[in-house]
Amino acid sequence: MTDDYIYLDFAASTPVDPQVFDCMRECGEQAYANPSSTHAAGRLTHEIIATAADQLGGLLNVDPKTLIWTSGATESDNLAIAGGARYRAHRGKHLVSMKTEHKAVVDVFDALAKGGFEVSYVDPDANGVLDPERFAAALRDDTQFASIMFVNNETGVIQDIEALGDICRERDILFHVDGAQAVGKVHIDLSELPVDLLSLTGHKFYGPKGIGALYIADRPGCRVEPILFGGGQQRRLRPGTLPTELIAGLGMAAEIAASRIDADLEHLTELRNVLWSGIRDIDGVTLNGDPNGFPGILNVSVEDIEGESLLLALEPLLVATGSACNSKSQEPSYVLRALGRSDMLAQSAIRFSMGRQTSRDDVDFAARRYCDAVARLRELAPEAAA
Amino acid sequence: MSHDPYSPVVRECFANPGHVGDLTGAVTADIDEQGIRLRLACTRDNGQISALRFRAWGCPHLIAACESFCADYEGRPLAELSRFQAADIMRKLSVPVEKTGRILVLEDAVQLLGQSCCGAPVTRKS
Repeated sequence: MTDDYIYLDFAASTPVDPQVFDCMRECGEQAYANPSSTHAAGRLTHEIIATAADQLGGLLNVDPKTLIWTSGATESDNLAIAGGARYRAHRGKHLVSMKTEHKAVVDVFDALAKGGFEVSYVDPDANGVLDPERFAAALRDDTQFASIMFVNNETGVIQDIEALGDICRERDILFHVDGAQAVGKVHIDLSELPVDLLSLTGHKFYGPKGIGALYIADRPGCRVEPILFGGGQQRRLRPGTLPTELIAGLGMAAEIAASRIDADLEHLTELRNVLWSGIRDIDGVTLNGDPNGFPGILNVSVEDIEGESLLLALEPLLVATGSACNSKSQEPSYVLRALGRSDMLAQSAIRFSMGRQTSRDDVDFAARRYCDAVARLRELAPEAAA
Repeated sequence: MSHDPYSPVVRECFANPGHVGDLTGAVTADIDEQGIRLRLACTRDNGQISALRFRAWGCPHLIAACESFCADYEGRPLAELSRFQAADIMRKLSVPVEKTGRILVLEDAVQLLGQSCCGAPVTRKS
Protein backbone atom coordinates (compact mmCIF):
# COMPACT_ATOMS: atom_id res chain seq x y z
CA MET A 1 0.00 0.00 0.00
CA THR A 2 1.25 3.45 -0.82
CA ASP A 3 0.52 6.81 0.75
CA ASP A 4 -1.37 7.76 -2.40
CA TYR A 5 -4.52 6.07 -1.15
CA ILE A 6 -6.67 6.15 1.96
CA TYR A 7 -7.65 2.62 2.85
CA LEU A 8 -11.23 2.43 4.09
CA ASP A 9 -11.87 -1.22 3.32
CA PHE A 10 -11.04 -2.84 6.65
CA ALA A 11 -14.13 -5.05 6.46
CA ALA A 12 -12.61 -6.71 3.40
CA SER A 13 -9.25 -7.25 5.07
CA THR A 14 -7.04 -5.63 7.68
CA PRO A 15 -3.29 -5.01 7.63
CA VAL A 16 -1.33 -7.54 9.63
CA ASP A 17 -0.31 -6.12 13.01
CA PRO A 18 3.50 -5.71 13.26
CA GLN A 19 3.54 -7.82 16.44
CA VAL A 20 1.75 -10.56 14.51
CA PHE A 21 4.35 -10.36 11.76
CA ASP A 22 7.16 -10.64 14.31
CA CYS A 23 5.48 -13.61 15.93
CA MET A 24 5.05 -15.38 12.60
CA ARG A 25 8.63 -14.71 11.52
CA GLU A 26 10.00 -16.03 14.81
CA CYS A 27 7.77 -19.06 14.57
CA GLY A 28 8.84 -19.75 10.99
CA GLU A 29 12.50 -19.61 11.96
CA GLN A 30 12.21 -21.84 15.02
CA ALA A 31 9.14 -24.03 14.71
CA TYR A 32 9.40 -25.53 11.26
CA ALA A 33 8.75 -29.12 12.26
CA ASN A 34 5.46 -30.90 11.67
CA PRO A 35 3.37 -30.50 14.82
CA SER A 36 2.23 -34.11 14.51
CA SER A 37 5.81 -35.34 14.91
CA THR A 38 6.62 -36.63 18.37
CA HIS A 39 10.28 -35.60 18.41
CA ALA A 40 11.50 -32.48 20.20
CA ALA A 41 11.10 -30.15 17.23
CA GLY A 42 7.58 -31.42 16.62
CA ARG A 43 6.71 -30.93 20.27
CA LEU A 44 7.92 -27.31 20.09
CA THR A 45 5.62 -26.68 17.14
CA HIS A 46 2.79 -28.41 18.96
CA GLU A 47 3.32 -26.13 21.96
CA ILE A 48 3.19 -23.03 19.78
CA ILE A 49 -0.15 -24.16 18.38
CA ALA A 50 -1.41 -24.85 21.88
CA THR A 51 -0.39 -21.34 22.92
CA ALA A 52 -2.29 -19.86 19.98
CA ALA A 53 -5.36 -21.88 20.95
CA ASP A 54 -5.05 -20.48 24.47
CA GLN A 55 -4.86 -16.96 23.07
CA LEU A 56 -7.90 -17.41 20.84
CA GLY A 57 -9.74 -19.23 23.60
CA GLY A 58 -8.99 -16.29 25.87
CA LEU A 59 -10.48 -13.84 23.40
CA LEU A 60 -13.70 -15.89 23.18
CA ASN A 61 -13.66 -17.18 26.77
CA VAL A 62 -13.79 -20.83 25.80
CA ASP A 63 -11.78 -23.97 26.35
CA PRO A 64 -9.12 -24.06 23.61
CA LYS A 65 -10.04 -27.69 22.96
CA THR A 66 -13.30 -26.48 21.42
CA LEU A 67 -11.44 -24.76 18.55
CA ILE A 68 -10.73 -26.33 15.16
CA TRP A 69 -8.22 -24.60 12.88
CA THR A 70 -9.34 -24.02 9.33
CA SER A 71 -8.20 -21.99 6.33
CA GLY A 72 -10.61 -19.18 7.12
CA ALA A 73 -14.24 -18.29 7.70
CA THR A 74 -15.44 -19.73 4.39
CA GLU A 75 -14.13 -23.16 5.28
CA SER A 76 -15.40 -22.81 8.84
CA ASP A 77 -18.86 -21.93 7.53
CA ASN A 78 -18.78 -24.93 5.20
CA LEU A 79 -17.70 -27.29 7.96
CA ALA A 80 -20.25 -25.93 10.42
CA ILE A 81 -23.24 -25.82 8.09
CA ALA A 82 -22.67 -28.81 5.84
CA GLY A 83 -21.11 -30.84 8.64
CA GLY A 84 -23.71 -29.83 11.21
CA ALA A 85 -26.72 -30.33 8.97
CA ARG A 86 -25.52 -33.75 7.85
CA TYR A 87 -24.77 -34.83 11.41
CA ARG A 88 -28.33 -33.99 12.38
CA ALA A 89 -30.04 -35.07 9.16
CA HIS A 90 -31.72 -38.00 10.90
CA ARG A 91 -33.61 -35.52 13.09
CA GLY A 92 -34.96 -33.38 10.28
CA LYS A 93 -33.97 -31.70 7.08
CA HIS A 94 -35.25 -28.18 7.59
CA LEU A 95 -32.60 -25.46 7.94
CA VAL A 96 -33.04 -21.75 8.69
CA SER A 97 -30.89 -18.75 7.88
CA MET A 98 -31.51 -15.16 6.77
CA LYS A 99 -31.37 -13.29 3.49
CA THR A 100 -28.47 -11.02 4.40
CA GLU A 101 -25.94 -13.75 5.14
CA HIS A 102 -22.54 -13.84 3.44
CA LYS A 103 -22.16 -15.95 0.30
CA ALA A 104 -19.96 -18.32 2.29
CA VAL A 105 -23.11 -19.25 4.18
CA VAL A 106 -25.78 -18.85 1.52
CA ASP A 107 -23.95 -20.97 -1.03
CA VAL A 108 -23.54 -23.83 1.43
CA PHE A 109 -27.24 -23.80 2.21
CA ASP A 110 -28.03 -23.69 -1.50
CA ALA A 111 -25.81 -26.73 -2.04
CA LEU A 112 -27.57 -28.55 0.81
CA ALA A 113 -30.94 -27.64 -0.69
CA LYS A 114 -29.90 -29.43 -3.87
CA GLY A 115 -29.07 -32.47 -1.74
CA GLY A 116 -32.47 -32.91 -0.16
CA PHE A 117 -32.50 -30.34 2.63
CA GLU A 118 -35.09 -27.59 2.80
CA VAL A 119 -33.89 -24.07 3.61
CA SER A 120 -35.90 -21.08 4.82
CA TYR A 121 -34.34 -17.62 4.59
CA VAL A 122 -35.83 -15.11 7.00
CA ASP A 123 -36.18 -11.43 6.06
CA PRO A 124 -34.61 -8.77 8.27
CA ASP A 125 -36.32 -5.52 9.17
CA ALA A 126 -35.63 -2.46 7.02
CA ASN A 127 -32.62 -1.65 9.19
CA GLY A 128 -31.15 -5.12 8.70
CA VAL A 129 -31.92 -6.41 12.19
CA LEU A 130 -33.58 -9.82 12.49
CA ASP A 131 -36.63 -9.81 14.74
CA PRO A 132 -36.31 -12.85 17.05
CA GLU A 133 -40.07 -13.41 16.82
CA ARG A 134 -39.87 -13.60 13.04
CA PHE A 135 -36.95 -15.99 13.39
CA ALA A 136 -38.92 -18.16 15.80
CA ALA A 137 -41.88 -18.19 13.44
CA ALA A 138 -39.71 -19.67 10.70
CA LEU A 139 -38.73 -22.65 12.85
CA ARG A 140 -40.60 -25.93 12.45
CA ASP A 141 -40.74 -29.25 14.24
CA ASP A 142 -38.25 -30.64 11.72
CA THR A 143 -35.85 -27.68 11.91
CA GLN A 144 -32.54 -28.98 13.15
CA PHE A 145 -30.01 -26.30 12.20
CA ALA A 146 -29.92 -22.49 11.99
CA SER A 147 -27.21 -20.03 11.02
CA ILE A 148 -27.22 -16.27 11.63
CA MET A 149 -24.26 -13.93 11.24
CA PHE A 150 -23.08 -11.82 14.16
CA VAL A 151 -22.02 -8.62 12.33
CA ASN A 152 -23.09 -8.10 8.73
CA ASN A 153 -20.15 -7.61 6.38
CA GLU A 154 -21.89 -5.01 4.22
CA THR A 155 -23.89 -2.97 6.71
CA GLY A 156 -22.29 -3.64 10.10
CA VAL A 157 -25.69 -4.61 11.53
CA ILE A 158 -25.34 -6.61 14.76
CA GLN A 159 -27.86 -9.37 15.39
CA ASP A 160 -29.21 -10.28 18.82
CA ILE A 161 -27.29 -13.53 18.99
CA GLU A 162 -28.27 -14.18 22.60
CA ALA A 163 -32.01 -13.98 21.88
CA LEU A 164 -31.73 -16.04 18.69
CA GLY A 165 -29.53 -18.62 20.39
CA ASP A 166 -31.95 -18.95 23.30
CA ILE A 167 -34.74 -19.73 20.86
CA CYS A 168 -32.62 -22.45 19.29
CA ARG A 169 -31.64 -23.94 22.67
CA GLU A 170 -35.29 -24.15 23.71
CA ARG A 171 -35.99 -26.24 20.61
CA ASP A 172 -32.71 -28.16 20.57
CA ILE A 173 -31.71 -26.66 17.21
CA LEU A 174 -28.01 -26.51 16.42
CA PHE A 175 -27.11 -22.79 16.17
CA HIS A 176 -24.20 -21.58 14.04
CA VAL A 177 -22.94 -18.00 13.98
CA ASP A 178 -20.76 -16.55 11.24
CA GLY A 179 -18.48 -14.37 13.35
CA ALA A 180 -16.07 -13.32 10.60
CA GLN A 181 -16.78 -9.61 11.06
CA ALA A 182 -17.29 -9.81 14.81
CA VAL A 183 -14.42 -11.74 16.38
CA GLY A 184 -11.72 -9.44 17.66
CA LYS A 185 -13.94 -6.42 17.04
CA VAL A 186 -16.85 -6.76 19.44
CA HIS A 187 -17.04 -8.50 22.80
CA ILE A 188 -17.95 -12.17 22.45
CA ASP A 189 -18.16 -14.38 25.52
CA LEU A 190 -18.98 -17.86 24.30
CA SER A 191 -19.21 -19.15 27.85
CA GLU A 192 -22.33 -17.01 28.17
CA LEU A 193 -23.76 -16.92 24.67
CA PRO A 194 -26.02 -19.81 23.55
CA VAL A 195 -23.92 -20.49 20.44
CA ASP A 196 -23.06 -24.01 19.28
CA LEU A 197 -20.77 -23.22 16.35
CA LEU A 198 -18.90 -20.02 15.50
CA SER A 199 -16.79 -19.29 12.43
CA LEU A 200 -13.94 -16.81 12.37
CA THR A 201 -10.98 -15.74 10.28
CA GLY A 202 -7.68 -14.09 11.13
CA HIS A 203 -7.37 -11.43 8.47
CA LYS A 204 -10.45 -9.53 9.59
CA PHE A 205 -8.78 -8.59 12.87
CA TYR A 206 -5.17 -7.82 11.94
CA GLY A 207 -4.04 -11.42 11.65
CA PRO A 208 -2.83 -13.29 8.57
CA LYS A 209 -4.94 -14.52 5.66
CA GLY A 210 -5.38 -18.24 5.16
CA ILE A 211 -6.13 -19.13 8.74
CA GLY A 212 -9.38 -19.29 10.67
CA ALA A 213 -11.14 -21.43 13.18
CA LEU A 214 -14.43 -23.06 14.02
CA TYR A 215 -15.66 -23.15 17.60
CA ILE A 216 -17.65 -26.27 18.40
CA ALA A 217 -19.37 -26.12 21.77
CA ASP A 218 -18.62 -28.96 24.13
CA ARG A 219 -22.15 -30.05 24.84
CA PRO A 220 -24.25 -33.10 24.01
CA GLY A 221 -25.52 -33.26 20.44
CA CYS A 222 -23.22 -30.51 19.23
CA ARG A 223 -21.19 -32.27 16.58
CA VAL A 224 -20.35 -31.90 12.91
CA GLU A 225 -19.38 -34.41 10.28
CA PRO A 226 -16.06 -33.73 8.54
CA ILE A 227 -16.13 -32.37 5.00
CA LEU A 228 -12.44 -33.05 4.32
CA PHE A 229 -10.70 -36.41 4.62
CA GLY A 230 -7.12 -37.53 4.62
CA GLY A 231 -5.65 -37.67 8.08
CA GLY A 232 -6.37 -37.85 11.76
CA GLN A 233 -5.51 -34.31 12.71
CA GLN A 234 -7.88 -32.25 14.85
CA ARG A 235 -10.01 -35.20 15.92
CA ARG A 236 -10.50 -36.11 12.23
CA LEU A 237 -12.76 -33.09 11.85
CA ARG A 238 -10.28 -31.13 9.77
CA PRO A 239 -7.35 -33.19 8.52
CA GLY A 240 -4.16 -31.71 7.11
CA THR A 241 -0.84 -30.49 8.47
CA LEU A 242 -1.42 -27.40 10.56
CA PRO A 243 0.15 -24.13 9.29
CA THR A 244 2.07 -23.28 12.43
CA GLU A 245 3.14 -19.74 11.45
CA LEU A 246 -0.38 -18.73 10.49
CA ILE A 247 -1.85 -20.22 13.64
CA ALA A 248 0.74 -18.44 15.78
CA GLY A 249 -0.15 -15.20 13.99
CA LEU A 250 -3.85 -15.70 14.58
CA GLY A 251 -3.19 -16.39 18.23
CA MET A 252 -1.17 -13.21 18.60
CA ALA A 253 -3.86 -11.22 16.77
CA ALA A 254 -6.41 -12.60 19.21
CA GLU A 255 -4.30 -11.65 22.21
CA ILE A 256 -3.83 -8.12 20.88
CA ALA A 257 -7.55 -7.78 20.11
CA ALA A 258 -8.50 -8.93 23.59
CA SER A 259 -6.37 -6.17 25.07
CA ARG A 260 -7.85 -3.33 23.03
CA ILE A 261 -11.41 -4.05 21.90
CA ASP A 262 -12.86 -1.22 24.00
CA ALA A 263 -10.29 1.28 22.74
CA ASP A 264 -10.86 0.15 19.14
CA LEU A 265 -14.63 0.49 19.48
CA GLU A 266 -14.29 3.96 20.96
CA HIS A 267 -11.97 5.01 18.13
CA LEU A 268 -14.26 3.59 15.46
CA THR A 269 -17.37 5.13 16.97
CA GLU A 270 -15.80 8.59 16.81
CA LEU A 271 -14.72 8.06 13.20
CA ARG A 272 -18.10 6.76 12.12
CA ASN A 273 -19.88 9.71 13.74
CA VAL A 274 -17.58 12.19 12.02
CA LEU A 275 -18.02 10.52 8.64
CA TRP A 276 -21.78 10.24 8.87
CA SER A 277 -22.09 13.83 10.10
CA GLY A 278 -20.13 14.94 7.07
CA ILE A 279 -22.37 13.31 4.49
CA ARG A 280 -25.79 12.85 6.05
CA ASP A 281 -27.11 16.20 4.77
CA ILE A 282 -26.55 15.36 1.10
CA ASP A 283 -29.87 15.36 -0.73
CA GLY A 284 -31.10 11.78 -1.15
CA VAL A 285 -28.49 10.05 1.01
CA THR A 286 -29.60 6.97 2.98
CA LEU A 287 -27.92 4.99 5.74
CA ASN A 288 -28.01 1.27 4.97
CA GLY A 289 -28.21 -0.55 8.25
CA ASP A 290 -28.74 0.12 11.89
CA PRO A 291 -27.34 3.24 13.63
CA ASN A 292 -26.45 0.97 16.56
CA GLY A 293 -24.46 -1.44 14.42
CA PHE A 294 -20.72 -2.13 14.45
CA PRO A 295 -19.10 1.32 14.23
CA GLY A 296 -16.32 0.18 11.91
CA ILE A 297 -18.73 0.03 8.97
CA LEU A 298 -20.78 2.82 7.43
CA ASN A 299 -22.83 1.87 4.36
CA VAL A 300 -24.63 4.64 2.49
CA SER A 301 -26.65 4.94 -0.69
CA VAL A 302 -27.54 8.09 -2.55
CA GLU A 303 -30.28 8.77 -5.07
CA ASP A 304 -29.58 9.28 -8.76
CA ILE A 305 -25.90 8.37 -8.71
CA GLU A 306 -24.27 5.54 -10.67
CA GLY A 307 -22.35 3.38 -8.25
CA GLU A 308 -19.33 2.47 -10.36
CA SER A 309 -18.69 6.08 -11.31
CA LEU A 310 -19.06 7.09 -7.67
CA LEU A 311 -16.50 4.48 -6.66
CA LEU A 312 -13.97 5.84 -9.15
CA ALA A 313 -14.77 9.46 -8.35
CA LEU A 314 -14.04 8.73 -4.68
CA GLU A 315 -10.41 7.82 -5.34
CA PRO A 316 -7.98 8.08 -3.58
CA LEU A 317 -10.42 6.56 -1.12
CA LEU A 318 -10.31 2.78 -1.27
CA VAL A 319 -13.83 1.68 -0.39
CA ALA A 320 -16.23 -1.05 -1.46
CA THR A 321 -19.53 -1.12 -3.27
CA GLY A 322 -20.61 -4.10 -1.21
CA SER A 323 -19.11 -7.39 -0.24
CA ALA A 324 -15.55 -7.56 -1.56
CA CYS A 325 -16.12 -11.20 -2.42
CA ASN A 326 -18.95 -10.06 -4.67
CA SER A 327 -17.49 -6.79 -5.93
CA LYS A 328 -16.86 -7.99 -9.49
CA SER A 329 -20.53 -8.60 -9.87
CA GLN A 330 -22.49 -5.74 -11.40
CA GLU A 331 -25.66 -6.90 -9.72
CA PRO A 332 -27.00 -4.70 -6.92
CA SER A 333 -26.24 -6.11 -3.49
CA TYR A 334 -28.69 -8.82 -2.48
CA VAL A 335 -28.10 -7.78 1.12
CA LEU A 336 -29.35 -4.25 0.46
CA ARG A 337 -32.21 -5.56 -1.66
CA ALA A 338 -33.25 -7.65 1.36
CA LEU A 339 -33.38 -4.42 3.37
CA GLY A 340 -35.92 -3.14 0.87
CA ARG A 341 -33.60 -0.86 -1.09
CA SER A 342 -34.47 -0.36 -4.75
CA ASP A 343 -32.02 -1.57 -7.39
CA MET A 344 -31.12 2.06 -8.05
CA LEU A 345 -30.31 2.79 -4.40
CA ALA A 346 -28.55 -0.53 -3.87
CA GLN A 347 -26.24 -0.03 -6.85
CA SER A 348 -25.12 3.34 -5.50
CA ALA A 349 -24.13 1.89 -2.12
CA ILE A 350 -20.67 2.59 -0.76
CA ARG A 351 -19.27 0.74 2.22
CA PHE A 352 -16.75 2.71 4.24
CA SER A 353 -15.01 0.43 6.71
CA MET A 354 -12.50 1.83 9.15
CA GLY A 355 -9.86 0.34 11.38
CA ARG A 356 -7.08 0.97 13.85
CA GLN A 357 -4.96 2.89 11.34
CA THR A 358 -7.78 5.18 10.20
CA SER A 359 -7.36 8.74 11.42
CA ARG A 360 -9.75 11.61 12.01
CA ASP A 361 -8.11 13.38 9.05
CA ASP A 362 -8.86 10.35 6.87
CA VAL A 363 -12.59 10.44 7.57
CA ASP A 364 -12.74 14.24 7.32
CA PHE A 365 -11.23 13.90 3.86
CA ALA A 366 -13.53 11.00 3.02
CA ALA A 367 -16.63 13.01 3.88
CA ARG A 368 -15.51 15.94 1.74
CA ARG A 369 -14.58 13.64 -1.11
CA TYR A 370 -17.94 11.91 -1.01
CA CYS A 371 -19.83 15.22 -1.07
CA ASP A 372 -17.70 16.50 -3.97
CA ALA A 373 -18.05 13.27 -5.96
CA VAL A 374 -21.84 13.21 -5.64
CA ALA A 375 -22.05 16.88 -6.66
CA ARG A 376 -19.75 16.34 -9.65
CA LEU A 377 -21.62 13.30 -10.95
CA ARG A 378 -24.97 15.04 -10.56
CA GLU A 379 -23.62 18.03 -12.48
CA LEU A 380 -22.45 15.68 -15.21
CA ALA A 381 -25.77 13.89 -15.65
CA PRO A 382 -28.67 14.97 -17.84
CA GLU A 383 -31.91 15.62 -16.04
CA ALA A 384 -33.96 12.54 -15.39
CA ALA A 385 -37.13 12.12 -17.41
CA ALA A 386 -40.22 13.19 -15.53
CA MET B 1 -2.37 -1.39 -9.02
CA SER B 2 -2.69 -4.53 -11.12
CA HIS B 3 -5.92 -5.56 -12.84
CA ASP B 4 -7.00 -1.94 -13.06
CA PRO B 5 -10.33 -2.00 -14.93
CA TYR B 6 -9.68 1.49 -16.25
CA SER B 7 -7.03 2.37 -18.83
CA PRO B 8 -5.06 5.61 -18.34
CA VAL B 9 -7.15 7.21 -21.11
CA VAL B 10 -10.38 6.29 -19.35
CA ARG B 11 -9.06 7.63 -16.09
CA GLU B 12 -8.02 10.91 -17.71
CA CYS B 13 -11.27 11.37 -19.63
CA PHE B 14 -13.34 10.55 -16.53
CA ALA B 15 -11.36 12.81 -14.21
CA ASN B 16 -11.16 15.79 -16.56
CA PRO B 17 -14.04 15.76 -19.02
CA GLY B 18 -13.72 19.02 -20.90
CA HIS B 19 -16.87 18.56 -22.96
CA VAL B 20 -19.54 18.28 -20.29
CA GLY B 21 -22.35 20.76 -20.67
CA ASP B 22 -24.94 22.21 -23.02
CA LEU B 23 -24.75 24.37 -26.13
CA THR B 24 -27.08 27.21 -27.06
CA GLY B 25 -28.91 26.58 -30.30
CA ALA B 26 -27.53 23.07 -30.59
CA VAL B 27 -28.98 19.99 -32.19
CA THR B 28 -29.43 17.35 -29.52
CA ALA B 29 -29.90 13.62 -29.19
CA ASP B 30 -31.23 12.06 -26.00
CA ILE B 31 -31.24 8.42 -25.01
CA ASP B 32 -32.65 6.93 -21.82
CA GLU B 33 -32.34 3.15 -21.89
CA GLN B 34 -30.49 0.21 -20.33
CA GLY B 35 -30.04 2.21 -17.13
CA ILE B 36 -28.16 4.92 -19.00
CA ARG B 37 -29.11 8.54 -19.58
CA LEU B 38 -27.21 10.32 -22.29
CA ARG B 39 -27.53 13.66 -24.06
CA LEU B 40 -25.33 14.80 -26.93
CA ALA B 41 -25.41 18.36 -28.21
CA CYS B 42 -23.88 19.60 -31.44
CA THR B 43 -23.52 22.98 -33.12
CA ARG B 44 -22.84 23.14 -36.87
CA ASP B 45 -21.13 25.46 -39.27
CA ASN B 46 -21.10 24.86 -43.02
CA GLY B 47 -21.46 21.12 -42.78
CA GLN B 48 -18.84 20.86 -40.07
CA ILE B 49 -19.21 20.01 -36.37
CA SER B 50 -18.22 23.23 -34.64
CA ALA B 51 -18.77 22.06 -31.02
CA LEU B 52 -19.90 18.95 -29.14
CA ARG B 53 -21.02 18.60 -25.54
CA PHE B 54 -22.44 15.72 -23.54
CA ARG B 55 -24.18 14.85 -20.31
CA ALA B 56 -24.22 11.27 -19.10
CA TRP B 57 -25.47 9.11 -16.26
CA GLY B 58 -23.55 5.87 -16.46
CA CYS B 59 -20.35 4.04 -15.71
CA PRO B 60 -16.84 5.53 -16.02
CA HIS B 61 -16.27 3.83 -19.37
CA LEU B 62 -19.38 5.45 -20.83
CA ILE B 63 -18.45 8.88 -19.49
CA ALA B 64 -14.91 8.53 -20.81
CA ALA B 65 -16.21 7.35 -24.19
CA CYS B 66 -18.51 10.37 -24.42
CA GLU B 67 -15.65 12.71 -23.62
CA SER B 68 -13.36 11.02 -26.10
CA PHE B 69 -16.02 11.13 -28.83
CA CYS B 70 -16.65 14.84 -28.30
CA ALA B 71 -12.95 15.67 -28.33
CA ASP B 72 -12.31 13.59 -31.46
CA TYR B 73 -15.24 14.76 -33.58
CA GLU B 74 -15.18 18.51 -33.11
CA GLY B 75 -14.15 20.09 -36.40
CA ARG B 76 -15.01 17.04 -38.51
CA PRO B 77 -17.65 16.92 -41.26
CA LEU B 78 -21.16 16.16 -40.01
CA ALA B 79 -21.29 13.18 -42.33
CA GLU B 80 -18.73 11.40 -40.21
CA LEU B 81 -21.21 11.07 -37.34
CA SER B 82 -22.94 8.26 -39.22
CA ARG B 83 -19.64 6.38 -39.43
CA PHE B 84 -18.98 6.39 -35.66
CA GLN B 85 -18.56 2.86 -34.36
CA ALA B 86 -18.51 1.65 -30.77
CA ALA B 87 -15.76 -0.83 -31.57
CA ASP B 88 -13.33 1.94 -32.50
CA ILE B 89 -13.70 3.84 -29.25
CA MET B 90 -13.66 0.61 -27.24
CA ARG B 91 -10.26 -0.19 -28.73
CA LYS B 92 -8.96 3.31 -28.10
CA LEU B 93 -10.08 3.30 -24.46
CA SER B 94 -9.48 -0.42 -23.80
CA VAL B 95 -13.08 -0.84 -22.72
CA PRO B 96 -13.72 -4.39 -21.44
CA VAL B 97 -16.02 -6.50 -23.57
CA GLU B 98 -18.66 -6.74 -20.84
CA LYS B 99 -19.22 -3.00 -21.25
CA THR B 100 -20.02 -3.32 -24.96
CA GLY B 101 -23.73 -2.73 -24.41
CA ARG B 102 -23.09 0.61 -22.76
CA ILE B 103 -20.83 1.85 -25.52
CA LEU B 104 -23.39 0.71 -28.08
CA VAL B 105 -25.80 3.12 -26.39
CA LEU B 106 -23.33 5.90 -27.21
CA GLU B 107 -23.18 4.62 -30.78
CA ASP B 108 -26.97 4.82 -30.96
CA ALA B 109 -26.87 8.36 -29.59
CA VAL B 110 -24.30 9.44 -32.14
CA GLN B 111 -26.41 7.93 -34.94
CA LEU B 112 -29.42 9.82 -33.64
CA LEU B 113 -27.38 12.98 -33.49
CA GLY B 114 -26.31 12.48 -37.08
CA GLN B 115 -29.94 12.01 -38.13
CA SER B 116 -31.17 14.99 -36.16
CA CYS B 117 -28.48 17.20 -37.64
CA CYS B 118 -30.35 16.64 -40.92
CA GLY B 119 -33.79 17.27 -39.42
CA ALA B 120 -35.70 17.63 -36.16
CA PRO B 121 -34.25 16.71 -32.70
CA VAL B 122 -34.70 13.03 -31.87
CA THR B 123 -35.37 11.51 -28.45
CA ARG B 124 -35.41 7.81 -27.73
CA LYS B 125 -36.56 6.25 -24.52
CA SER B 126 -37.04 2.66 -23.55
